[in-house]
Amino acid sequence: MDKNRRYRLTAAFALLGAGVLVLFALNICIGSVAISLPDILRTLGERRDTEAISRILWDIRLPRAAAALILGGALALAGYLLQTFFHNPIAGPFVLGISSGAKLAVALVMIFLMGRSVRVTSADMIFAAFAGAVLSLGFVLLLSRRIQSMSGLVVGGVMIGYICSAVTELVVTFADDADIVNLHNWSRGSFSGMTWGNVTVMSVVVLLTVLFVFLMSKPLGAYQLGDAYARNMGVNLRLLRGCIVIASSMLSACIVAFAGPVSFVGIAVPHLVKTLLGTTEPIRMIPACFLGGSVFCLFCDLLARTMLAPTELSISTVTAIFGAPVVLWIMGRKNADRQS
Amino acid sequence: MEQYYFMTKKMCVGYGNRPLIKDVEIALAKGEILSLIGPNGAGKSTMLKSIAGQLRLLGGTVYLGQASLSEMKGNELARKMSVVFTQKVRAELKSCRDVVATGRYPYTGWFGVLSGEDARIVDEVMALTRITDIGGQDFNKISDGQKQRVMLARAICQEPEIIILDEPTSYLDIRYKLEFLSILDEMRKKKGLTVIMSLHELELARIISDKILCLKGAYVERCGTPAEIFETDFIERLYGMEEADFLKDERFLAYVRQIGSG
Repeated sequence: MDKNRRYRLTAAFALLGAGVLVLFALNICIGSVAISLPDILRTLGERRDTEAISRILWDIRLPRAAAALILGGALALAGYLLQTFFHNPIAGPFVLGISSGAKLAVALVMIFLMGRSVRVTSADMIFAAFAGAVLSLGFVLLLSRRIQSMSGLVVGGVMIGYICSAVTELVVTFADDADIVNLHNWSRGSFSGMTWGNVTVMSVVVLLTVLFVFLMSKPLGAYQLGDAYARNMGVNLRLLRGCIVIASSMLSACIVAFAGPVSFVGIAVPHLVKTLLGTTEPIRMIPACFLGGSVFCLFCDLLARTMLAPTELSISTVTAIFGAPVVLWIMGRKNADRQS
Repeated sequence: MEQYYFMTKKMCVGYGNRPLIKDVEIALAKGEILSLIGPNGAGKSTMLKSIAGQLRLLGGTVYLGQASLSEMKGNELARKMSVVFTQKVRAELKSCRDVVATGRYPYTGWFGVLSGEDARIVDEVMALTRITDIGGQDFNKISDGQKQRVMLARAICQEPEIIILDEPTSYLDIRYKLEFLSILDEMRKKKGLTVIMSLHELELARIISDKILCLKGAYVERCGTPAEIFETDFIERLYGMEEADFLKDERFLAYVRQIGSG
């Protein structure tokens, strides 16, 4: 590898790393009560539940920022995997209806369990979301056998998404009043109300999945060249496809279970990161996408909390504002490529 | 039996469950070049894809050395056989050198990082195929002819014992066509590389091949050495031109006859 490329990669990773740190700090400083950095450092040193600042920090802001960091990374990585899988730059968990499928499954399980006054655990939610994600991805796969074009696949995915959302609305309407408030907030997508228990579970699941994906980086690189060449290089395509489906569903499921569906991060971040790195090699893209997703979600959540404070925006509102233009840009560039 | 490196026994190829070409018997010694010729749609690509293990065989067996191809593990086969197909690799944000380096895949470790030795082989092959000067350029921005040379370099980088090429010279100008074939010729002399390829340039197939397989419709029309294959009116029959009006034109007839008999 030549020197220029190495400098560029180092600079890109340094930028992403610094971005995560700075935005994480901003996220715990800024809010309805501003906390200064020295105060934060003092409070982080020892946790005192009697102090208001300490409670705000430990019970609200830290878990929330941690969730944005972990789930944002997971979401971007899920998008990258799906784009690689379908050889389609505008694929992602949200546009392919995978998030909506997971959302439907979670809504059903929540209503069913709450109706019987059973406490819903994080594990239940993840499991339900995973089942929903795999099911809707299965539908998309069936579609993709018939529809070859890039936009056709996405339209199919969006339709699956709409169907799942409609059914979700329907079951929410028939749910008990007390559940609706909960469900409604969650189904719009938000990082609020995270507990340390949530954060622990999501860290474990996401970390294991990311590690699993990282171990696949070599066959993923071969897969990017196209099926025929990957097969010639000795890649077991069936096995690899299965692994990608499981990993991307798991990551998407995690996000939906804890934060509800979050749009556009999955498409926009991998594309921005790819442009930043100047390469699509999985071994670099996987960690970079994760960091990029964290930066993007920390930034968007900060805006969601503070822009119209004390009212909170749903996270998808903010991610769409910054993410959707990126998608348009990708599509425009694709067409330009074809014409040139 | 031992003297042959590549063999097919009663090979039957086609898509889905519909056999297209049946009972193909090929036997090649190490270092031999086999060319497939025949009209468009005769199944040359289908046959090459089947030989390369990209399409499931509908019957029969392909042998590489002593082993049946279908029983080889992916990585083992990848070190023995490499391919150049008409479809180009997807290579987003990859330089030509990156594309060539993907040929080292079967030899690298778990994360696919190139060793110094791998890098040396990549550079060597790029020099051999004369693409060192375009090594840094974006693969998606070079010409089709240049892409074909990069794809050949990629395949050679894989250090195969046998190489399968589907119309590898179609976009090349006369100079690079000859150079391309001379590289294959050199590889087979030096390293005993066995070559199976489809060619549309009959006069080139004639001078470079040890054996020629003629495909027409659903069967192997003929298989033999160039001297056996090329007869006065064979080309006209193979490509179904006996009745063609344009061969009434003397200039065209002379051209076809010259390829046939030379």
